[in-house]
Amino acid sequence: MSAVATQHDHAHVGTHDESHAHDHAHHSVSFIRKYIFSTDHKTIAKQFLATSMFFLLVGGAFALFIRWQLAYPGEPIPLVGKWLPDSLVSNGAVQPGFYTQLVTMHATVMIFFVIIPMATGAFANFCIPLMIGTDDMAMPTVNMVSFWLVPIAGLTIMSGFFVEGGTAAAGWTNYPPLSASGTGHMLWVIGVFLVGFSSILGGMNYLATTLNKRAKGMRMFDMPLTVWALFITSILQVLGTPVLASAMSLLFVDQVFHAGIFIPENLLTANGGLYPSGANVGAGGGGQPVLWQHLFWFYSHPAVYIMIVPIMGVVSDILATFARKAIFGYKAMVFAIMTIAFLGFVVWGHHMFLSGMSPLLGTTFMLSTIVIAVPSSIKIFNWLGTVWKGNIHFTTPNLNALGFISTFVCGGLSGVFMAIGPIDVYIHDTYFIVAHIHYVLFGGSLFGIFAGMYYWYPKMFGKMYNETLGKFHFFLTFITFNLCFFPMHMIGVGGHMRRIYDPYVYEFLKPFQPINQFITIFAIAMGFAQLILIFNLLWSLKFGRKAPRNPWRANTLEWAAPAHPGHGNFDRDITVYRGPYEFASPESKRDYLPQWIRPAHIEQETAVAEKH
Amino acid sequence: MFDFSWNMLTYFPPGISTYSEAHDDLFRLVYWISAAIFVLVQLTLVVFIFRYRARPGHKSIYYHGNNVVEFVWTLAPTVLFAGLGLYSDEMWKVMKYSSRIPTPDMEIDVVGQAFNWHVRYPGGDGILGKRHARYRSAQNLFGIDPADSHGKDDIVLTGEFNLPINKNVVVHLSSVDVLHSYFLPNFRIKQDAVPGSWIEVWHNGTKSGKYELACAELCGSGHYAMRAVLNMQADADFAKWMEGKITAKKAVLAAEAANPQPVAPAPAEAAAPAGEHHGSSH
Repeated sequence: MSAVATQHDHAHVGTHDESHAHDHAHHSVSFIRKYIFSTDHKTIAKQFLATSMFFLLVGGAFALFIRWQLAYPGEPIPLVGKWLPDSLVSNGAVQPGFYTQLVTMHATVMIFFVIIPMATGAFANFCIPLMIGTDDMAMPTVNMVSFWLVPIAGLTIMSGFFVEGGTAAAGWTNYPPLSASGTGHMLWVIGVFLVGFSSILGGMNYLATTLNKRAKGMRMFDMPLTVWALFITSILQVLGTPVLASAMSLLFVDQVFHAGIFIPENLLTANGGLYPSGANVGAGGGGQPVLWQHLFWFYSHPAVYIMIVPIMGVVSDILATFARKAIFGYKAMVFAIMTIAFLGFVVWGHHMFLSGMSPLLGTTFMLSTIVIAVPSSIKIFNWLGTVWKGNIHFTTPNLNALGFISTFVCGGLSGVFMAIGPIDVYIHDTYFIVAHIHYVLFGGSLFGIFAGMYYWYPKMFGKMYNETLGKFHFFLTFITFNLCFFPMHMIGVGGHMRRIYDPYVYEFLKPFQPINQFITIFAIAMGFAQLILIFNLLWSLKFGRKAPRNPWRANTLEWAAPAHPGHGNFDRDITVYRGPYEFASPESKRDYLPQWIRPAHIEQETAVAEKH
Repeated sequence: MFDFSWNMLTYFPPGISTYSEAHDDLFRLVYWISAAIFVLVQLTLVVFIFRYRARPGHKSIYYHGNNVVEFVWTLAPTVLFAGLGLYSDEMWKVMKYSSRIPTPDMEIDVVGQAFNWHVRYPGGDGILGKRHARYRSAQNLFGIDPADSHGKDDIVLTGEFNLPINKNVVVHLSSVDVLHSYFLPNFRIKQDAVPGSWIEVWHNGTKSGKYELACAELCGSGHYAMRAVLNMQADADFAKWMEGKITAKKAVLAAEAANPQPVAPAPAEAAAPAGEHHGSSH
């Protein structure tokens, strides 16, 4: 340690946990315990990050195959078509059965193996202990298990490509009776069950950690919004995911034992290749297909908030840091997140307006759904209020955060249309819905994830990423994203259905082929633009400039830790003296004032911190 | 060649039902409100980004928020969105509440089967025969009760069907295998076809012509091809068409009477609830 660090030690009258120091002095672990079966939250975060990035490329490839088929039906996929097996393609062109697998797997991978693990695996793991000033999660071994469930679940589902009949092909929503037979659907159900437990275990851990391990002086309302958002998301995970597990269990019982939970009596079976293996769904009897939808959506609606709420927290912290200004309405932001989370549990029926459930429920779900726009609007206004009269620095993380606001507004507004039952009658299962989904999940979640990845890269890896490449990645992605997804609103209004292998079978859809081609071209460009990000992340690991502790001059506790912290995180005692957003404070000559700087020593401690 | 327009309202296919205009009006209302909010927010963002960009001599202010402003921008959206929801409920009721279905001028059964649409008309006697799930088979998709004489003359068509214009038509919708969805874009109506349920859908088309029926719920690899054609006809033309079908059916029945085919064995057990055909679960 340098002389500067010694200065810190002497400055503390407080306790230094001797046993804590002792543990970390004798901590040589095997390669396997350090990198493979690690219990360190930062390593686990990186494992989640790497796995999610891998699946992002897999899910992205699936999307490009779908887009190729929609633009040029029956044409061989360029470059890779000839390498795909004959069960999937014909002369390199996507076959209808493969198409239905692609739409299913694209969504399944992106939701369960990219966005959820990124937001609630990578970010939750990396940020929570560091931002609350502690050494690790409350339950490090549970944490390790929660990561390993993800690749195991992923392998389970992907193995569906190698079984008879192929992988799951009933959409990521997996509605029975279509999903009630086929080995691929069974593997999917098992895989989702497993990845659901990753989520539940993670959520439990984050709740325990946030409630019990905050640094001295940190009250709940001193926590940054990233932590608040993850805390509330954890409640969603813990309450909602078990219902998903129940749905999967029940469907599994129908698939394997033909119990007839979701299967009504006397259905006609295999007919013209409907069930690929000619399997009999079973005589069944008395089952209700709509029951699945209730169980599935009771989880899957909160799931979409699981995917966006952490990101909203991350974006809040990034915007404040780079506007050099407190988040506007911190408490209002917390209450808005709580409201979104609560309301998120009572709106699931808006996915089922046309399912055949009682139309009276359509009225009630329409009203509960449309008011969920209110807390989201509050957040948008508060973000605008944050940059108002700020001093905005356009770093890559901030560009992505600002881009998030822009695209999330669009996604939120398109949601209003489908919240309204009679309008949803028309746009349900059309590309209008697909446009909405991608504006909130890609425009929202993914841009927010990019923002967070660039923001915490210096802390995660001790290196700076390349700023020029970062900006280039942002602009290219933002432009191609909008050109790709905005036209989907148009064709949706035109009635263009989802999950359609060849739309031009329909006269009324023939005129949309040029638009589908336009979308595809920009989808391909957008896909390849992500290679810039991957290159930047990997290249900077080796060749990036060494990062200082607090390159962004931010206020939250993670920036008190060394760049690339070791096991145990902090090299000093942490006490919290103020909230997380004291930018432009009159108490300091600088435009920031970190949470851990002692009030009587602001000038000297900040000066010292900057020298690291 | 399609003319691309940034105004998404221009993409609607022609609306020809008695509620398509009201539906489109509601869509337009939401569209313009959303467009206004969209422009306002994006413009504000761009102006702020420019005005408050970091530059030499420029500073941020020390400011944590304003509760009055929070109250205002909580109340205003709540009033707007709740109002929109309450306002829209009338349209929802018109399209979907059973109690609001007008007295039918005509009733038909429609079932989805991967990957075809089948339509059943009442035939010469004007009455649809009773049906029940236990009678369903590949040869009897609707599960028509063989004992019911009214069912014998029922006409079943696949892939293409006709309806009269300016008549309230009630469709009893179901499926024989998996979920499908009955989507008539020009009528602005859609309803999932649920196996094990019969769900009522109503529509009244006001313009003759050829319209497409699409399946809008993924039902297997052939989902994309599950298309049917609906011919809307003026009364007189429809009556003529229907006569032709009835006559053809009579001929088929006569031929069968002359050459009886072996009857398929009756399906198994299950105590029989009365086989009504309004909103029953069989």
